[in-house]
Formats: sequence, structure tokens, C-alpha cells
Amino acid sequence: MPTTRADVRPDLVVDFDIYDPALTMPVDRMQERTAELAKVGPIVWSPAYGGHWLVTAYDEVHEILRDPATFSSYPNNLVDAGQGKFLPIELDPPEHTSYRQALQPLFNPTRMRALEPRIRELVVELIEKFQGAGRVEFVEEFAHELPTTVFLALMGWPLEDAPMFTEATEIAMNGKPGDTPEQAVASRTEAAMQMFGYFMQIIHTRRAAAEAGEELDDITTAVMKTRIKDAEGVERDLTDDELARMFFLLLIAGLHTVQGTLCWMMLHLSTNTDQRDTVIADADAIPAAVEEVLRYESQIAMGRRAVRDVEIGGVTIKADDQLLLLLCSANRDDSQFADPQSLQVDRTPNRHLAFGSGPHRCIGSHLARVELRIAMEEIHKRIPDYRLDPEDPAVVLPSQVRGFARLPLLFTPVTSS
Amino acid sequence: MDRYLTVDRGACAGHGLCYGAAPEIVDCDDQGDPIILTEPVPDGMVGQAEHVVDICPERALALQESLQESPSA
Repeated sequence: MPTTRADVRPDLVVDFDIYDPALTMPVDRMQERTAELAKVGPIVWSPAYGGHWLVTAYDEVHEILRDPATFSSYPNNLVDAGQGKFLPIELDPPEHTSYRQALQPLFNPTRMRALEPRIRELVVELIEKFQGAGRVEFVEEFAHELPTTVFLALMGWPLEDAPMFTEATEIAMNGKPGDTPEQAVASRTEAAMQMFGYFMQIIHTRRAAAEAGEELDDITTAVMKTRIKDAEGVERDLTDDELARMFFLLLIAGLHTVQGTLCWMMLHLSTNTDQRDTVIADADAIPAAVEEVLRYESQIAMGRRAVRDVEIGGVTIKADDQLLLLLCSANRDDSQFADPQSLQVDRTPNRHLAFGSGPHRCIGSHLARVELRIAMEEIHKRIPDYRLDPEDPAVVLPSQVRGFARLPLLFTPVTSS
Repeated sequence: MDRYLTVDRGACAGHGLCYGAAPEIVDCDDQGDPIILTEPVPDGMVGQAEHVVDICPERALALQESLQESPSA
């Protein structure tokens, strides 16, 4: 029997719903709230969504991520809003392993570093578009554009499709603004269907092109050629449905996360100007600064489900219990990080778990690091005195992938020479 | 005394901090797993090797006096 509220020690029951808009609007209080949860215990209980455990501490999060035999990664989402299983993140080893081995080389560090010149060109182009204005809505004009353009180029998908799937993935994750919880599930389901329709169309177009001898050299082609081993160890092709589920995951994982981290970088460096001065003065400080921004605002809260009864963090988790791993509080755990609430761009060691750990550790981390590093370099060369716009505050959205809807910034305009 | 950088393959999760921090000592393979480039670690690079041991989130790296397979490799 899974855990019910009556089984949980009353002092471990908390009032917390990661999708509650009040957590981030009008002011983002997510870190404050999750720090309060961490004070209650390393693992606490929320009655929301039929009840689930919230894992707040570094050691417990780390242990769970590294133990897929006890903690299945399906379901990763607290609410299934029509999206079904994301592949391969919601598969467990050994089934997961052949997917992982096929995908990993496509995003390996050497390949991602080779993209650096193209990414730098794009970053500079984006900044030059707004640098004369002295103000920017950073999400729309930079943080969204950069990962989207890079992702589309890697996948070989048409750039003009971006607005459609940007809106659809946003709705698929968060619902529409002003939705009631019931409406949000309906909006999210509809958006997920729209996305699956889009992926099916891509798959069919590619198949037809391949038959006509016009095969593109991109990640879409490589993924479509992936052979996986089924539970009996027999190799087979991926079905269209599986391909669509992989594309959907790559899209959500590749766009929203980088967008959010770019925004957190601007927000926190604009309010920690001594730390920003370090980054401005010394480009060699930037790789470590990227890691610190990743630690400081880890926006992912991934789900796991216990497959057996297990004791961890002072509680007994029962088979079939759902867990939610709060990376934002794990990465501010003072048993792992000295003075965790302060942003220290030269922090070392910095063993953060922003990219997770274990078999599902972020496959795009090497791409993310290249994008974040180059953005940090070029922004601090060009508009180093950016600040928040007091008249037009940032809008942060909650959910298991917390992110920004808007981030208006002001800075000294760059006059073209 | 020679020092060797070793990887516990069972513990490594491919975070990539090691080859990001010290590419002269650690490279990576196609799967994103570390490859140790220098055996033994040259005297002038021992400090860097100690640093990568320190930053590994999985405590998968060690600086040892001989090149022996780690038990869980």
C-alpha cells in the first residue's frame, strides 16, 4: 500500500504544490519556500496530487538519482497532461541504456565545442540587435532566441516553425495564463497533441526525403536511425510514436532550461555586482561562474517513483510512492555548500546537481555549458551594466521546469561606431 | 614519486567537470566519459589533478601512487 497522509508524521506534512502560481507570482519566492521545506526535513510530504514526497537535501537527491533500481524515473511528471511517456527519460535501465548510448554521442562534448564559432556568431548577432536601445525584454530577444536557433539548426527543423512550437511547448508545460487547474490540464493536453502532430509530420517528411535519396546530416536523421534493444535484447527500429516522444523531450529539455538559466544569470549578476565585476574583469572566471549560476538557481524538479519499500532521509518510502526531487534546495544545502545562499562565482568545489546525476544525467549539459559560457562572455563585453527595470518587473513561472515569461532589463546603450 | 589519476567507472556519471577544468590532463570519449591523458601526471600538473579530484560530484577521481584498477571499475 502506498503512503497516505495518515501514515506520515504530522510535522513532515507541508503545504506545497510546485505548480502553484503563488510560488513565483507576483514575486518569485520559490527558493525561500523550498528552504523552509528543507528546514522541516530532508524528505517531507505534500498532500498535493494524491500525495508525494518532496526531497530537499543534497545527499538524498543524489542517492535517489543514482539508484534507478529503487527509484523509477516514470512518472517524471506529477501530472500527466496528455503527454504520456517521455523517452528515454521515463525509461529505466536496462531498457534505457541503448537509447542513452545512441543519443549521447550526438551531444558529446567534442561535438558541442565544435559548435562554438556558430554559437558565438549568433550570440553577437542577437546582442547587436538590441544593444543600441538601452533596454531589452531579455526572454524574447535573447534567452529564448539563442537556444531555439541552436536547437533548430542541430535538429534541421525549419526556423519559421519556432513560434508555433514555442507557444505549444509553453502551454504543454504550464497551461494558458489564467487557466483554472482543470482548464490547465485541458490546455496542456491540447498543446501536447499539437506537438505530436508536428513531430509526426517531420518524421513523415524525413522518411519521404530519405526514400528520394535526400537525407540530411543532422540529429533528426541520427535519432531516426537509432536502433534500440528491447527487453529481450532484440535490436529494432524506433516506432514513429517513440520518435515523437524523444523529439518532444529533446525540445523541452533543450530550450526551456537554457532560456531559464540565461535569465537567472542576468538577474543574479545584476543584483550581485561585485560578482559581476569579477566576470567582467576576467573572462577566465566565466566557466566557474556558469557552474555557480547553475547551482544557485537549479530550475528542475524531477519526479521518481519507488518500486519497493525503502528507508531514506529518516522516512519510510513505500512501493509506488511518488517523489519530487527539488534540485533548487539540494543545490543550496549547507552540508554540501559553504554559505549556500550567496552567489560566489569562484566557488570551488562546486559539485552541484543542476544537470542531475545517474543514468539520466542531462545529455545536453555540454551544449548548455557552451551556450551559457559564450552568452556570458559576449554580454559582459558589450552591455556589462545591465540592471532590472524597476517599472517592469520580471515574470517567473513555477512548474517542474521553473522559468521566465519576461525579464525586462535596462543598460547603457551601445552607440554604433 | 609518480602520481596517477584514476577513474572509478562505476561512480562516474559523466558530469564532465574534470575535462572542462583540466583538458591537458583529462579528455572525453564519445559517450562523454573521461579519458586520462597523462600517466603518470607530470609534476607541474599535480595541482590541477588535485583540483579535478576535488570538484568531481561523484568522488569518482583519485590521485594514487600506482596505476591500479579501482575495485568497482
